[in-house]
Amino acid sequence: MNQTDLLEQFVIEARECLEAIGTRLLDVERDPTNLELLNDLFRSVHTLKGNCGLFEFKPLERVVHAGEDLLDRVRNRTLDYSSALADALLDAMDYSAQLIDQIERSGHIEAGAEGRSIEHATALRSLLGGATMPAVERGALAVAESGMTHAPAPPPDWLGHVDQAVLAAHPGSLALRYLPEEGCFFKGEDPWRLASTAPGVQALHVGGRQPWPDANARTGWDCYQCNLDVVIVSSASRSELELHFRCVPEQVTFHVLAAVPVALKPLGPGETVMRLRAATLWAEQCALLARSGLNGGTVLAARRTLSRLTVSMDDAAQVAALAELDTVPESAAALLAWARQHRPAGSTPARGSAAVPATRSADDGSVTEPPVRADDGMAAQSHKVLKVSQEKIDRLMDLIGEMVVAKNSLPYLAQRAEEVFHQRELAREIKAQYAVINRIAEDMQHAVMQVRMLPVGAVFQRFGRLVRDISRKLGKDVQLVLEGEDTEADKNVIEPLADPLIHVLRNSLDHGIELPEVRRAAGKPAMGTIRIRAAQESDRVIIEIVDDGAGVDPARVRAKAVERGLIPADRAALLSDNEAVQLIFLPGFSTAEAISDLSGRGVGMDVVRTAIERINGGVELGSVLGKGTTLRLSLPLSMAVTHVMVIESAGRRLGVPMDLIVETVRVHTDDVHHFKQARTTVLRGRIVPLRALNELLALDAEPQCNEQGELAVLVVRIGNQNVGLLVDHFHGASDIILKPLEGVLAGLVGFAGTALMGDGGVLMVLNPKELLT
Amino acid sequence: MTIRYLKKHAALEGIVGVDDAEALTQWLLQQGEPAVHLGKCDHLHGAVLQVLLALRPKVTVPPADLLLASVLSAHV
Repeated sequence: MNQTDLLEQFVIEARECLEAIGTRLLDVERDPTNLELLNDLFRSVHTLKGNCGLFEFKPLERVVHAGEDLLDRVRNRTLDYSSALADALLDAMDYSAQLIDQIERSGHIEAGAEGRSIEHATALRSLLGGATMPAVERGALAVAESGMTHAPAPPPDWLGHVDQAVLAAHPGSLALRYLPEEGCFFKGEDPWRLASTAPGVQALHVGGRQPWPDANARTGWDCYQCNLDVVIVSSASRSELELHFRCVPEQVTFHVLAAVPVALKPLGPGETVMRLRAATLWAEQCALLARSGLNGGTVLAARRTLSRLTVSMDDAAQVAALAELDTVPESAAALLAWARQHRPAGSTPARGSAAVPATRSADDGSVTEPPVRADDGMAAQSHKVLKVSQEKIDRLMDLIGEMVVAKNSLPYLAQRAEEVFHQRELAREIKAQYAVINRIAEDMQHAVMQVRMLPVGAVFQRFGRLVRDISRKLGKDVQLVLEGEDTEADKNVIEPLADPLIHVLRNSLDHGIELPEVRRAAGKPAMGTIRIRAAQESDRVIIEIVDDGAGVDPARVRAKAVERGLIPADRAALLSDNEAVQLIFLPGFSTAEAISDLSGRGVGMDVVRTAIERINGGVELGSVLGKGTTLRLSLPLSMAVTHVMVIESAGRRLGVPMDLIVETVRVHTDDVHHFKQARTTVLRGRIVPLRALNELLALDAEPQCNEQGELAVLVVRIGNQNVGLLVDHFHGASDIILKPLEGVLAGLVGFAGTALMGDGGVLMVLNPKELLT
Repeated sequence: MTIRYLKKHAALEGIVGVDDAEALTQWLLQQGEPAVHLGKCDHLHGAVLQVLLALRPKVTVPPADLLLASVLSAHV
């Protein structure tokens, strides 16, 4: 797997993690005591952090790490989950999602991200610092606390601003970075005064957060845009410093300097060589001493060499070892034991890497590895799930579609064998083979459909957040109840649902659910409920969005529709209440008096309806004034295979989607009534308008009658009306794979798409709705 | 008057407040070889400090405040 693949995988997984985190955060907010939810949440964050670590995505990792620390505290009950905390975490997750978008676009995080990432991390950590816990638990947790405060922070990059010698001179001190916000001068703050008067200042460094302007950029430079970046090394305690910076806690980051400076001075090249050489010599002496039958002189020489090596090492441990050497007896074995024990520690090149983490963890005194690592266990199972990109599945789907088409040519072949070549036997065999291939092809199609099935919950997931945010903004109290999230439907059906559903939810929140006071006055619970229910009904998926809000006022809808000129007043008066309510689906309809950022621009329910109809779905609205509104979406399970009725008109074969067809009838020409240009007929006591398909398609031919003088009428349902289409012949039904019109054909009105027929011909599939309206 | 703009340098004296930052910026930008005298400066506002850090004028006399002097000397 190369880097790009890895990155792709990372983006996919990170998105999944973020989605899971988003949902879990809301769950936890509802039920903060549920440890299982918390653990789950923590695991997701932890996985995300782990994934970030694979790449050099520092800004992302920083934010996620801060989130992880915070959640760890919550999980351990040392911090209470609050909505402020949830807000900070949600913000951080939003930001992470942005970063991941950036990563997906360009493969790296853009340069400006550093500052904001620090802001988010600081915001999260400030919650960590202000941790309050219930007094009861405090005693019991005191022991646990001391062992685990927060994960050891590696020396932050801002420490690099300060001279390393200064850091080394103040072991155990606190280093803090103070980043005044850009507009602080306008708030009357004086960051320099605040920084310079901090208690116990040992060293202070002031730099620019962004590089200072160069000679060319100076003229336009805004000196009141604070760009200061202050790093202070202080001997004061953290609480004193926190008190000093109490007004700007979010702008301050702390770091405890290691008692032995973490950043070891890199060994000079000469010294490295010297130490390596010393190690070799030491090893040679050991090998010499290990030989049997050594004489006294050799032992003495070895002893002297070792002693000089030790002195040259100039190391505290080695000095102590030297003192010990004096007490070692003269024998070779004793000297060997000593030499092995006191092998110079710093002489191996591994020193830098091995020694540093050890000292660091000792100083912070708090290496917290999350105790539960359940995801490790889950990793073992994950190989059972394949992650395949959608294109591959689509390709498979296309291939199966072609196979279905190829298979459909066999009956034609059989027919030819029989009629042209008079091979009845062969024709029968071909038909038998066709039956087998047909069965396999259908199974294959079914299997691919299953792969493409997606639970509707995938779309519902993000609604929790939406409802929470909007209801807060509007000052309403709303709970969202999801039912039947497991109901599955084709990916292509589920995914386009997101936008219309968001629209519907916004409408419910904005117009449906009333303010708590109004609700109480109406005798309803102050908290409104929006219920999204999904269920499967035969080959349709039904999604209902039910709210217990004010409902739609038919009188107001009528008035508005007339006012906006959408329907004439006399017709509006004739509509029943239920019919009037449906008027909100008209394009350009809006009852909102003022345009808010939520709704009121008149691009409302008609957009929803268009979007749903595009995926062959339907929308029904039911509303009881004062009780609430129910929106019922009915969607196909899959839109890959379309049933069409094949008809012929003016010598052309055309397809009409089966779900629109009400019936096919033959009407005698005598039964057709002419009124000016309009033709109608009466079917089962109802008047059905007739339109000639040839005329609609601008084909210059009259509809043909059969021998009995009857016209072929295809009755289709458009909206709530039946319309009869006059065609020449009916050819029966067929399953086709509908291909949308693409390229130069894309703008063609009146056609839903094309399909390849078994005999190699192309079938144009009509879109009667576009044709007739 | 906390800043006196002289021929060769600007003398920052006493407590230099936030309002002087803009004028100082303009003056420093106009000078061929900008220089500041901080010998009698007791305190600089953060915005003024930022101006000095950004435009790096020559400091003819460092301020008495050692912390401030060290910050400026590290940069200028």
